[in-house]
Parts: sequence; structure tokens; C-alpha cells
Amino acid sequence: MSNTDQTTLAATQSGRPPFYRDATVVKWLAQVFTLLLVVFALFFLTTQALENLNRQGIEIKYDFLGIGLGSDLREGIDTDPDTAGRALWAGAVNTIRIAVGGIIAATILGVLVGVGRLSSNWIVSRMCSVFIETARNIPLLVQIVFIWALVATLPDVELDSGPINGVLHLSNKGVSVPRVHIDDGFYQWLIFLGAGWLVGSFVKRRQERRHDATGQDTYPVASLVAVLAVFGAVGWFAHPIFGWVGSIFDFIGDGYSRLTPVIVQVVLSLAAVTAAAWWIRRFLARRRTPAGLMKLTDDDKFRIIFAGVGALAVIAFVLVGWPGLSSWIINSGTDLLGVIADKFGDGRTGKPMDIKAPDVEQIGNFPNPGPAGLNLTQGGTAVFFGVVLYTASFIAEIVRGGILAVPKGQTEAGLAVGLRRVTMLRRVVLPQAFRVILPPLGNQYLNLTKNTSLAIAVGYSDFVQVGQIVYNQTGKTLEVISLWMLFYLACSLTISVIVNFFNVRMKIVER
Amino acid sequence: MTVPMGDPAAPVVDPAEAWAGEQEPARKPEEPSLSAGEWLSKNLFSSAVNSVLTGVFTLLVLLAVRGLLNFTFSEERTWRAVKTNMRFLFTHAYPQDQYIRIWVCVGAIAVLSGLSVGLLARTGAGISMKKLSMNLMGMGGVIGLGILLREPSAVVDSEGLVVHREAAAVGDSFVDWLDTNALAVLGVLVLANVALAVWFHLQGTYLRDGPEPRLAHGVLVLASVGVLIVQQYATGEIARESFVDAMADRAWWWLGAVVLAGSGAALWFGLGDSRRRNTFVPAMHVFFAAAGIMVLSAWAYPWGHYAFLEGEFISEPGRTVAMTTKLPWTVMWALLVGTFLLGRALSTAPAARRLRVPLNLLWVMAPFVLYWAVLRDPDLDWDHVLSTDIPMAVFFAVLGGLVVWYLTHPRIGEAGRIMAVVLVGVAVLNWVAAYFGWYPMLQKARISFLLLAVVALLAHNFAGDRSQRLRLVVAWVAIMAVFHWLVTLVNSPSTVETPTDALIGGFGITLIVAVFTLLAAFPLGVLLALARTSKLPIFRVLSTAYIEVFRGVPLITLLFFFTLIFNLFLPSNMSLTDIAGATIGFALFSAAYLAENVRGGLQAVRQGQYEASDAVGLTTVQRTLFVVLPQALRVSIPPLVGQVIATFKETSLLAVVGIFDFLRIADKVISAQSEFLGVKREGLLFASFIYWIFAYNMSKHSQRLEKRLGVGER
Amino acid sequence: MSVSDATTALTEELAARDDMIVCEGVNKWFGDFQALDGITAVIKEREVVVVLGPSGSGKSTWIRCINRLEAHQEGRIVIDGVELTNDLRNIERIRSEVGMVFQQFNLFPHLTVLDNITLAPIWVRKKPKAEAEDLARSLLERVGIPEQAEKYPGQLSGGQQQRVAIARALAMEPRIMLFDEPTSALDPEMIKEVLDVMKELATSGMTMMVVTHEMGFAREVADRVIFMEDGQIVETGTPEHFFTNPHEERTKLFLSQIL
Repeated sequence: MSNTDQTTLAATQSGRPPFYRDATVVKWLAQVFTLLLVVFALFFLTTQALENLNRQGIEIKYDFLGIGLGSDLREGIDTDPDTAGRALWAGAVNTIRIAVGGIIAATILGVLVGVGRLSSNWIVSRMCSVFIETARNIPLLVQIVFIWALVATLPDVELDSGPINGVLHLSNKGVSVPRVHIDDGFYQWLIFLGAGWLVGSFVKRRQERRHDATGQDTYPVASLVAVLAVFGAVGWFAHPIFGWVGSIFDFIGDGYSRLTPVIVQVVLSLAAVTAAAWWIRRFLARRRTPAGLMKLTDDDKFRIIFAGVGALAVIAFVLVGWPGLSSWIINSGTDLLGVIADKFGDGRTGKPMDIKAPDVEQIGNFPNPGPAGLNLTQGGTAVFFGVVLYTASFIAEIVRGGILAVPKGQTEAGLAVGLRRVTMLRRVVLPQAFRVILPPLGNQYLNLTKNTSLAIAVGYSDFVQVGQIVYNQTGKTLEVISLWMLFYLACSLTISVIVNFFNVRMKIVER
Repeated sequence: MTVPMGDPAAPVVDPAEAWAGEQEPARKPEEPSLSAGEWLSKNLFSSAVNSVLTGVFTLLVLLAVRGLLNFTFSEERTWRAVKTNMRFLFTHAYPQDQYIRIWVCVGAIAVLSGLSVGLLARTGAGISMKKLSMNLMGMGGVIGLGILLREPSAVVDSEGLVVHREAAAVGDSFVDWLDTNALAVLGVLVLANVALAVWFHLQGTYLRDGPEPRLAHGVLVLASVGVLIVQQYATGEIARESFVDAMADRAWWWLGAVVLAGSGAALWFGLGDSRRRNTFVPAMHVFFAAAGIMVLSAWAYPWGHYAFLEGEFISEPGRTVAMTTKLPWTVMWALLVGTFLLGRALSTAPAARRLRVPLNLLWVMAPFVLYWAVLRDPDLDWDHVLSTDIPMAVFFAVLGGLVVWYLTHPRIGEAGRIMAVVLVGVAVLNWVAAYFGWYPMLQKARISFLLLAVVALLAHNFAGDRSQRLRLVVAWVAIMAVFHWLVTLVNSPSTVETPTDALIGGFGITLIVAVFTLLAAFPLGVLLALARTSKLPIFRVLSTAYIEVFRGVPLITLLFFFTLIFNLFLPSNMSLTDIAGATIGFALFSAAYLAENVRGGLQAVRQGQYEASDAVGLTTVQRTLFVVLPQALRVSIPPLVGQVIATFKETSLLAVVGIFDFLRIADKVISAQSEFLGVKREGLLFASFIYWIFAYNMSKHSQRLEKRLGVGER
Repeated sequence: MSVSDATTALTEELAARDDMIVCEGVNKWFGDFQALDGITAVIKEREVVVVLGPSGSGKSTWIRCINRLEAHQEGRIVIDGVELTNDLRNIERIRSEVGMVFQQFNLFPHLTVLDNITLAPIWVRKKPKAEAEDLARSLLERVGIPEQAEKYPGQLSGGQQQRVAIARALAMEPRIMLFDEPTSALDPEMIKEVLDVMKELATSGMTMMVVTHEMGFAREVADRVIFMEDGQIVETGTPEHFFTNPHEERTKLFLSQIL
């Protein structure tokens, strides 16, 4: 037998095939070729842009952020910003504010409508489906513009404005409601809450264990809430005792500002090398067998080389591509630490939070919504209700789908083992429905956040609209568009991380 | 963002099951009808809570309908602003004397639709007579209710005379409503209802003793709502007086309601229970009949286009084609129905299936031809065409034909691959040379070379016998002919003169941008999806980065990028118009979403399908084209249709970047005309309605498709 | 390896034929888990080999390595004189010479039975459509379902689907057929119709390698039985030898559990 083996094997060609027939080489050549094409295309576009800008005598610089802005914003934390950067910051806060508020409102409305669609009551389910079909089949921008035009038909503001004077004002200038806001001692109070959360979680776990051991009702969640409430109440008055925390951040900030750019560059380069080395080690570890390291395929070698090349590219970027990066990191880090030190600093003895009722003030001949309440201008009202109604219609469909996705057998089984209806819903149906609902719901939150950018059509001072003001005044279109994209990418990433956190938790719960 | 969002696609379905579900829907008779009492007690008053909900929601519905009607039909509304601006809303500044071109385009689409539906669409179960008559009666009822509900308010003019005027804006009536004592009445009625419900419930009769107690409660609920409405009317003395007048004014509406409800009732009672449940009419016929009635009614009643001429509003002036609507629409209707009947007649012929491919090709070609050849009416420079365009087209057709013929030889082997790689090199070199300015070349020659290189790379996958090779060569020649023809058209100046930069605006540009966006985004999306699910890491990383970045930023910022500064990124001798730039922005954005939808479908294709294809020796390209994509795309049809709707709605963003699309005309253009200063709400309501009709019908169609494919059923 | 007289006789008789599949020291790991451990075996032309073994013993992995649905990591596999390496041409040649039948049939659900069978002959073998369809119809005749040509796989029973899968593999006119548990996913009453087709194929002189739990088939049709466990070949021999007088303890244990 061994004899025949020898002859057969000898007859076959061995060794490497020519490169154009080698599966691995061809695969990688195609990939590298595509990568080069993409890089070349980007390079081509970038050099063209630089060339064209050069010809017009324009440089790509972000120093316009520190230059004063000639115009006011309609609303936000700072309606008369000193610099373009400050204006953009106010715009970003407006975007976040309307996105967070919108997400909460759209979720509530969406869940109600989604459940309503499943109602056995004909008129309720009909009305919910009419709402859904209307809201989601009309473009959001049309809805926003239309609501804007509708708000214009509301009555003028008057000094004793309505419908509920001092609480809710509806007028053609927009909507005003009471404003809950952060006050002086908020950040010190947060320390109390954090401590309360730690202690509360400990108590909760202990109560859970007692429940497991004895079977008594120990109310773990209620005790967590109680502990948190006690800490919050104490902290409400006692928070000034944490005034010294600010000096810690002062100290850190001081040390941080002493860093030199070289140190930062070295740290970044080391991080890149370490990351690559860590990846390669993990990669090799996965290819280690009890019999020692197995033979690496060409494919594997290519991957390892690419990891190395990636690290080198990062180092080249840090050292050569953008030398200013390190000093930027140092400066902005120092600023950030300074702000934090101030927030936690001494002498903040006021209330952590406060609430203010909306008012009306006379400006010239006309009454106007005063600064005390939470005011949505005509544009803000249009954007808010537009995104809420539109997104709620999608959320409603997701909720309905999620509930329908739980098989009927689950409900029956839950009832069969003697669970009460409420317990069955809470323990059996909702966890399963939530698992189906969560990922698309996250997408809707993302869409809602992005859709607030349509504010530009009705003049609500969100990030995009402020950006437009800025580039109209400074001519820095490219820079502003890059800031837009970075800002929204950051928002998307944040929402994704939050949703994913719950997603993972749901999966664990399910196991 | 990759990991967190999970699978964004539709529920993962096994394509195999999707195929098994593809059967003609059985024509099952409708359920027997319940009596009115049974229906009410089952659907509206089945429990105490439901009765209360019914009361509250009935009231809400009535208020909402009343608000909408008051708003829409208020004398304050200047609907003339919409009526006289129809031409602007749909085509903006497209010249009147060239309007016949618009009608040719609409006619071409009508012919293609009629043929496609007639030839290829399934007949389906159709609409039962029961449903039809219920719908007719329902429509009549709703109109009747609307006539009654619409508020007959009146105001006193400056001289103290009662002027008959319909209600003011929604906002006013909402605030007024809160001021009245209606709230108190409502409170009392709700309390009474809850009390009765609780009493019934405690007695235990609600669920046990048949429908009577529930119905009694229901009557009380509805009666309370009625009392509230009467109370509303009664609050204003003037309103009461004008109520009778208002009802008389609405005589035509009464007639419509009675005709609809009457014909519905005639069907219902004329057929009898079993026949109305078992008789079906095809949905298409109902649609054609409804459309026909609408079109014909334009000849009887002037509800169509108006013009503002010499200080007067004139219906259907009819001086040019642009100024009339009833004649062209009648022709369109006839074309649609005629081609549909033709298609139906042909569909039984054995060759009907073979018509599917050419018909689809026509659909793909239609946007290009209709926009560049028909609407633009390009002025061809015949010297240039004869000296450059035609020779170049012939050159590439012959060269490519030879290459294709050679490379599709069954035993071409490595030589073919090497040749293909060389061609790719030449194609890339052309672009690199363009960058460094080594040698001049027409852009379309570069693109033709690139097309040739791609075809050469793929050719060995389609090798075959002589007839197969001949087919491929013919296909290549046809592609080159069409491509060079279109490029020549695009490069020729238009003879249609418009006062704006854009050829056409309004709803026309909305549709055109949406169609071209989808035509560009679909192939790109499929490629991205394939790359993202690929085993090759660089492809995957590139595609993932693209998808996540484009999904992570708002569309509006992309549109600003492509309309404001993208020209900076192009060589100085190239520039894009706003509309072209915006279309690129839309396409890149939609492609990222389409890619995620297709990825959902790709993930639903079982591993065994890949293994089986490999085991029989298919190449990667063959496996993807013949086995994987057909299954994946079929599963992703519903989300893909969803994306089509989304793209259609997103085109409204054109208004923000300064293009005169449907929304911008409704919002900004009409309200700036001297006759209609500040008139916005009418145009916006009309725009909402048109957008809604399109989006709603597409989504309904997609839901039917979903049901038929068995996708999403568990 | 100790070899019985019967096996020696068989080896000598087979030695005259050509080698179809030669495996030499084939190793494969999935992460830490070694799926194939030094597999060395030769399968001759027209030989029918049945591979037995408990689940997870590496039978399927081995058979999938032979037409490179999985890549082996060490050792050599030579099919009909062509070695399986990264060489694209060799992979192409081997795939079109080796037919494979899967446990789950893996028919293409969007194609009719006829299109399922003609797909590869047209696009891989570059046959004219008419010729491929004639071949497909004759193969359907051979597996006993000529009347199902226009149906979709979803409309067929499991046994019919598996017979279509066999016809699909045969349409490439392979020299070797691999069967990966072809009857495991079938209802009992359908197993026989598939086994009959396989028996007919064996008598027609096809080289076959079959992973199965059908002992009856092994006893009746196989020229040789290979018993695997933990990624190793434990014992090789003729069916009589294997079922009546196995040498290895592990083989005896397996047979006592299964018979």
C-alpha cells in the first residue's frame, strides 16, 4: 500500500502554483487592488479639493470657531453667543435637547398606539392604524413645515396667556412649559446619588439573596429606590461638603497640562503598536493547538502583515500626518479638566435642581414668552411634534410586531403554570417582546436624532442650522460640514452603545 | 455601530420556505356577516373598559374629523392657490408649448404599466362584492357624517350683519373649545358611563347575559357623544341659524353621499348573503373603473385645472395642452386600460413569459430615455455625432465584441484571465493618466474601457457554446449602443428653454430624482451587502465603514455637501448641477440602507446553498448570481420596498437645498405669488395628500407582497 | 497496522486499479479541536467505501476536505492524480470531477428540478442548454422521477429531493461520488428509494465514498468499510471482516451499540 502511495504522490506536481492561480494570493491581490483604488480615489478627490481651495486662496482651518458671530440665535442656552464655537455648542445642545425629549415622547406615544392597534376595540385599533398610516406615509419634512404653518394660526401671546396661564402657554410664538433645570450644586449632588446607587445596589443584592434563601417578599427594587431617595434627600442639603472635589481635578489638570507633545506622540504610537501586538498575539493564540502552533496559511500571514501595516500607518499619522494632534489633545484635555474642576469646585451652595414656571414679558409693544420657562419657538414646536409623530408611527409598528412575535403558547403556558395575568405579562411576554423590539427601536432613535436636522427648514437653532449661519458668515463650508458629520456620527455611536448595552443585558436575562 | 444595532433587516426567513409559499391565493369566500347588534357588542362594547374607550375615542374621532373638515373647507382657505398652480406644482417652469412632452412621458409610463400588469401580474383573489359594497356604503357614510360635522359657524361683519362663513382655523377652534363648558358636560357624561359600566360589571351581566346589557351601555355611550355634539352646536346662536343654510349649501355633497351609499346598499341587498360573499371582481377592474369615473367627471364638472387669466379664474382654458387636463387624462386612461386588456389577452400565449425580460429592460431604460430624449429634446450636433460619437461607439462595440467572443470560449483557461487583468490595468491607467495629464481622452472612452475591463473579468463565468457566446456579444453591442447614445444625448444642449436652471421642477423632479436615486443605489447597495457579508476582510471593513458612516450622518448634511462643495473635489473642468449632486447624495445614502436590507436577505440564505454550489463547481460569481442573490433578494423584497418608499419621501429634502421640488413650490413659491401672498397651508395640505397617496399605496402593495411571499409570517 | 488475510487479498486485487483518492497524513483543527488526526488512506477506482463511526468522529469533515468544502491544514490529498492545494485550477478540476450529496439535500429552492440539474453542466461544463436538458431528463429517469422535472424542490418529498440531488451531482459526470449521510434527514419509508439509487450507482462502477449509518447498505454494497473515531482511522476491512470479526475494541464497542 505504501508503495502505491509513493508512486502516486510522486506523479503529482507539488509546491506552489503560479501566483495568478494561487487562491490565497489572488484573493488578497484583489482586496489590495480594491483598497488601492479606494485610496487613490480619495487621494484624487482630496488633492483636487486642496488645489481648488488653494487657487481661491482658502485654507482649511478651524480657527473660525474662536471668531465672533454677528447674529443671535432664536433659542437655546446662549442666544447671543460670543464666538462661532459657542454658537455651535448652543446648537448642539438644542439638537440633543430636542432629540432626547423627542425620543421620550415618541416612545410613550408609539407604545400607546402600538398597543392600541392590537386592541380588540374596533374603533381604538382603527384610529391607531389611521394615525400610523397617516404619520408614516407623509414625508417628515412636509409634516414639519405643515405644523409650522399651523402654529402660525394659534392666537398671539398675551400677558395672561393660555390655555393654563403660568403652566402651559400655546401661541403662534410656540409652546412654553415649566422648566426643570440644573442649578448650582448639581454635580456635588451627583456624588451623593452615585454613592446612593452603590449602597442601594448592595442592599438590593442582599435583599435578593434573602428572597432566594427564605422565599419572603423582600422588595429588592423598592429598597434600592428607598436608599437612593434617602441619599438624594440628604445630598440635597449636604452637597456643599463635597466642595473639595474640584481641587482634585485642578490637580490632575495641572499635571496634564505639563505633558509635552512628544510624550503624547510616544504614548499614541505605543498604543498603536501595543494594539497591533495584542491582536497578533490573540490571533496566534487562536491558531495554537495542543500539538504546537499549526502551520500558518498564507491567508493568516497576510492578516498579520496587515495588522503591522495598520499600526505603522497610525504612527505615521501621529508623527507626520497631523503633528498638531498631540498638542490639541493636551489643550482640549486641560480645558475639559478645568471645566470639571469648576463644576465640582467650592462655593456651590445653591439647590442642585430647580423648576421655573413659564412667564410672559413685554418687549416693546408686544408680549413675548419670557426666559423663565422651557420655550419651544414656532420652529422648535414644529420639529418636536414632527419628529415625535413621525417616529411614533414607526415605533408603534415595531411594538405591535414585537408583541405579535411572542407565540401564543407562551401566554397560555404562563397562565397554565398559575401565574397571575400581570406577572405573566411582566415575566413572560414583555421580556421576549422587548428582545425583538429593542434593535429596531434603537434604529428609530438614531433616525429621530438625525431627523432633527430638518430643523433647518423651519429655522430652529439646531446644530445644522447654526452651522449654516456660521458658514454663511465665515465661508468655511467644508469645515462646518465636517463638524456636522462628526457630531452626528458621535450621536449615532452614543445611541448605538446605549442600545447595545441594553441589548446585551436582555440576552443575559434571557439566558 | 456595527455590532450594536443588531440585525436591522426583516425577520430572518428561510428562502426555501418563501418559495414554497408562492402559490396562487385561494379564493375563499368571505366570512358570513354578523348582524349589526352582534358586531357592535363584539367589537365595540365587549367589556366595560371597551365601552368607555369606545365613547372616548368616538368623541376624539369626531373632533378630529370636524377639525380637519373645518380646516379644509373653511372659507378662509384659498384653494384657488392650488387649483391655479397645478402646472407649477407638478412641473414647475416646464414651458407650456412643450407640454406635449410631459404627456408623452406619462403616456409611455401608462403603456408600460398597463402591459406589465396585464401580462405579468397575478389575478389574485380580487375584491369580494361584500367588501366592495361595504366600502361604498362606508364612503357614503363618511361623507354624510362629514357634512353634518363640519361646523357651520358665522361671524358678524363690520356693519353688524351676519355673514355666513365657515369655521376658522383649527388652532382657534381648539382654544375656543377648551373655553366652553363642554369640558364639564364631557366630565359628567364620562362619569355616568363609567358608573353604568361598573354597575354592569359588578352585577356580572356584562359578559354573561348576552349582548343586551352591553348594547344598552353602548347606546348610552353613543348618545352621550351625540349630546356633546349637539351641545357644541347649541353654544352659538348664530351657528344654529346658519346650520340649515349650511346643510342646503352642501346639496352636492349630499347627492354624492347618497349615490355612494345607495349603490353600496343596492349591491348588498341585491345580491344576498351567499352571493355577495362568493362573488369576486378583480381589483384592477375596480381601480380602472374608479379612475375612469374620476377622469370622465372632469368633463361634467370643472374640478380640474384652473388658470388665472386677466384677473379671472377660468376653468380649463384649453388654449394649449398645458391649460387643459381632461382630454390628456382621458387619453392616458384609455392607454392604460387598452394596454392592460392587450396584455391580458397576450398573457395566455406561451411566449408571454419570454416578454418578461424585454419589458423589464424597457422599464430600466424608460427613465433615461424619457428624461434625456423626450423631456430635454437634445439638440444633436450632427457633425460631432458623425465624426466622433458614432465611430467611437462602433469602435468599442467591435473591440468589445471581439474580446467577449474570445474570452467566452469554453477552454480559454489562464490566457483569458491574464488578458482580462491586462484590460483592467489599461482601464485604471486611463484614469491615472487623466490625473497626471499624460494623454487626453474623452471621459466616455475611459468609462467604456472600464466597462470592457469589468466585462472581461467576468466573461469566463459565462462561457458557453456558440449561441451563448453570440448572445453575449449582441448584449455587449447593445449596451455600447445605448450607452453612447445616452452619453451623446446628455452632452447635447437642451432645446427646451426654462427660466430656471432645472429643466423641470415640482412633483416631476421629485419622481425623477427618486427614480434615478434608486437606479444608482440598488446596484451599489447589493455590492456593499455582498462585500459586507464577504469572507475577505478588506472588503468587509471597507463596506462596513461606508455603511456605518453613511447611516450615521443625517441626509441633509450629505445633500449640503454634494450641492455646496462637492464641485471643489472635482477637477476644475468638471462640475455638477445641484440636481445631479443631490441625486448622488441621495443615492449614496440610500445605498447604505439598501445594503443593510439586502444583507438581511443574504444572511437568510443557508450555508448549504453555498456548499452545494461549490460542490458542483460553480465559480464565486456564478454562485452569487445564480444561487445566492435570487434567494436573498426575494427575502428582502419587503424591506426593499420600504426603502423605496423612504427614498420617495426623502426627496422632499430637495426643497431645503434650494431645488424647486414639489414641497418647495407648495411651501415657498405659491405663498410668494402676488395673488396668494402667505397662502401656505393649502399647498402643504395638498402636497401631504399627494405624497400620502403614493407612499400609502406602495406600502399597501408591499404588505400584500409580504403576505404572498409568506415572509414575516410565523 | 495489523491486516487480516481477507484485507490483504482485497488490497492485492485493488492494487492493479488506479488510485482515485489518496490521503496522506491529513490533519485538520477547528481551533483547539483536532477534527482529523493523521488520516492516511487510498481509495481505488470503482471502489465503494463506507465510512462509519460515532458522531463527531470526523467522518463528515474528512469527506468535505476531499472536495475542499473545508481546507485541510497538513498532509496531502490527491484526487485522481491532482493534488488539492491552493491552486485554483486544481480546485476547479477536482470539484467538477467529484460529485457530492448532502444530508440536507441543499437543492436550490428557487429553481425547478430541471434547472437544478442543468445549472452546473451549462455554466461549468459549458454544455449547450438542449444537451444539458436531455442529460438531466435521462438522469431523472435513472433515479426514477422523470415526471417531476418542472416542479420546484419545495413541492417534492424528502426522498425525491435527495434523488434529485444525486441526479444533480451525476449531471457533472463525476468520476467520484461523495455521500455525506444521505439518508439521515429522511423519513424511514423514504430511505429505501434513495438507497436503491445508490446501489444501482455502485453496481454501475462508480467510485463512491459514503458516510452513513445504514449498516445494511454497508454490508451489502461496500467493498471496504472504514471505521473512524476521534479523527483517526481505527480499522479498515471488508464488510464481512468488519461486521463479524473486528479487531479493535473500539470497533466492537461501536458495533455493539449500533446493531
